[in-house]
Amino acid sequence: MKSDILVLLLPRWRALGRPPAGVEKKHESVKTLLLAIIGLVFWLGVYTVFIQVLTYFRQVEGFGDVLAEKLLSMVLATFLSLLAFSSIITSLAKLYLSRDLALVHALPVSRARIFAARWIESTVDSSWMVLVFALPVFFSYGMVYRAGLGFYLNAPLVLLPFCVTVSAISAIPVMLAVVLLPANRFRTVLAFLGLVLFVAVYVAVRLARPERLVDPDEAASVMAYLAALQSPRAFWLPSTWACDAFLASLRGDWKTVWFHNSLAVSAAGASAYLAVLTARLFYFKGVTKAQTGRVGKAFPRSKSLEAAVPLPWLKGPERAFLIKEIKVFFRDQTQWPQVFLMAALVGIYLYNFKVLPLEKSPLPTVYLQNLFSFLNMALAGFVLTALVARFAYPAVSMEKEAFWIARSAPVSMGRIVWIKFAIYLVPLWALAVVLVAVTNKLLRVTPFMMWLSIGTVFCMVPGIVSMGIGLGAAFPNFSSENPAQSVTSFGGLLYMILSLVFIGLVVILEAGPVYAVFMAGAQGRVAGSLAWTWLGGTLALVAALCAAAVFLPMRAGIARLSRT
Amino acid sequence: MIELENLSKRYGGVPAVDNLSLRVEKGEIFGFLGPNGAGKTTTIRMMGGIIAPTKGLVRVGGLDMAKHPVDAKRMIGYIPDRPYLYEKLTGLEFLRFIASLYRVENGAFPKKAEGLLRLFALWPWADELVESYSHGMKQRLIMCAAFLHEPKVLVVDEPMVGLDPRGIRLVKDILREESKKGVSIFLSTHTLQVAQDLCNRIAIIHKGKVIAQGATSDLQTMANVSEEDLEAVFLRLTEEEAPLP
Repeated sequence: MKSDILVLLLPRWRALGRPPAGVEKKHESVKTLLLAIIGLVFWLGVYTVFIQVLTYFRQVEGFGDVLAEKLLSMVLATFLSLLAFSSIITSLAKLYLSRDLALVHALPVSRARIFAARWIESTVDSSWMVLVFALPVFFSYGMVYRAGLGFYLNAPLVLLPFCVTVSAISAIPVMLAVVLLPANRFRTVLAFLGLVLFVAVYVAVRLARPERLVDPDEAASVMAYLAALQSPRAFWLPSTWACDAFLASLRGDWKTVWFHNSLAVSAAGASAYLAVLTARLFYFKGVTKAQTGRVGKAFPRSKSLEAAVPLPWLKGPERAFLIKEIKVFFRDQTQWPQVFLMAALVGIYLYNFKVLPLEKSPLPTVYLQNLFSFLNMALAGFVLTALVARFAYPAVSMEKEAFWIARSAPVSMGRIVWIKFAIYLVPLWALAVVLVAVTNKLLRVTPFMMWLSIGTVFCMVPGIVSMGIGLGAAFPNFSSENPAQSVTSFGGLLYMILSLVFIGLVVILEAGPVYAVFMAGAQGRVAGSLAWTWLGGTLALVAALCAAAVFLPMRAGIARLSRT
Repeated sequence: MIELENLSKRYGGVPAVDNLSLRVEKGEIFGFLGPNGAGKTTTIRMMGGIIAPTKGLVRVGGLDMAKHPVDAKRMIGYIPDRPYLYEKLTGLEFLRFIASLYRVENGAFPKKAEGLLRLFALWPWADELVESYSHGMKQRLIMCAAFLHEPKVLVVDEPMVGLDPRGIRLVKDILREESKKGVSIFLSTHTLQVAQDLCNRIAIIHKGKVIAQGATSDLQTMANVSEEDLEAVFLRLTEEEAPLP
């Protein structure tokens, strides 16, 4: 019965808008409001950028409309890949890894209907964000090209079948793959695939060498590239149908619109049917396999990390937590791809500095090198913020339901949170200093800038880590199936905002006095005592700000965690 | 050894435990019974220092849990009702982690850990990840961890859940042994037979309040029940008002 599917969807529907047990409605409303404001700012940002880009394109004779069409097709192709990847991950989790699977499969409901309900949930989960952020793009096209009401009314008819088709087509290989692999391994494989995809895209971008666009000598080849833009798109991709439907509706060519819409709707229906058919054959086999995928494995005691940690002075709870964190981190296969991904990001970051065409800029090279070095402090801070968000922020939540062990242990809550801070601080400190030193070396900056940026980043890192650990402790989620995702929660967003504000403040504070001292040196003058006093005072202020960034979030986090 | 004084806990205005006072002597096994949602686990979590009371005191070995939580917790062996553990550690690694937190001497650890793992029939799986353990095995591993530092007080929430009959017998024997050694045991359970077999005194909690306290015979008198059966006592004391015909 169709009603079975609706009943299966009901718990999720009912849970919407209900705060978790023990959380006051007022606090939940504040969180929702803040998230909505952040979303709206991002939404308006996307809209403004697209309006400006499209308005600029319209002014370019001959190429403008081609570029706008190409941009739309690229946006839709990006949505297609995002949707496909997100659908694969979400359908894997919804169909095979959810906690309520045992309950749902014990119900007297056919497996095809269970699949259908889960797949609908997965489609909504993987599509809503793409849909929300696709709207400002389409609105901007409508506004710039002065489209009629039909364009806006037609947008859902284009986007919904697009999402359904991609979600259904993505679920099919998931069902087939799970029959071959246990589900918990499969997630790791997917994360590796994500990394491979990311590196492949990066290599493609690097091979295209976009920095050549600033070089006038390359203009001839860019013209040739623009000519190639008018080549036809892949006719078999749902993103092509969506693109063609949008462009036709912009022109008011409704006959073409209805052709592409009919194609999209029938493809969505056929894909969904194919997915259900595959589910009838393979879904339950996969579920059985996912439930029995774990096998006991003995770990040899001789290789024990207790003996390997070369810190004999570290004793008691500190040593116990350090060893536990290291073991748990490296034995959790879902962490490995993240480490590789972060390593790839750092590699890309360094490589970008290596290929900067500073010599070709009209500005003096020394000035530019040191300007980049200064900005690099902020960029390194942003990279650190991303790393802390992924690894340190969920550190407290990663204890999951086993947090009772730490709570009932004869160790104060403050000590436990500070131990976690120290565990993540040391490697991130080393990474940040190496990152800044290597990029400065690549930029061949002056010794003054080298030491200033190393010193500043050295002071900022504990603050950034403390905000991550402290806010992670203040907003823990011990019941999450994947605490690494907690960074997308209210606390995670608050952390990222505060961290970016902190980095921005430090850089803004230092900008004035550093410019004064640096320019004196660059012009062969000795900086006056006023400039040095200004710099000294600023550095003292930055040190105080960094100290506050260390202690305040930790204190707040420990206090809130102790009350939880 | 354990004192609860006017202990209360409210969740957003709703009282889970209301003005609870009781005392457990050295070497005593004290049973804590009550229907679902009566406030047993909340009380136990306050005793283990896992949550703070809204009002009142928990004293362990004369130490106030609010003022000296670390020293008070060092005296306690805490066994929760649900065996959530670090799944990516092996059983032996988990015990070493606990030993470090409770400052068990390094030299004494291997022998103690092996002894406990053998006692709870977990030695063959000592080097396997906890994630591959069954529910009962995890429960037994938590018990090993609770006994590792030779606590003066045991706070146990539903010890028999997930254990097979052999495991239940084993746990009963161990608790009796510990009690003879002078360990005070606060035991919450739904298994009335276990309470009847083991406990010197029993308290019955209902809607957050202790409604009866004493030896089984005292409870019989209070409940006005003639049978020597704790079930009848429990049902009589916790029965709701009879519905209208």
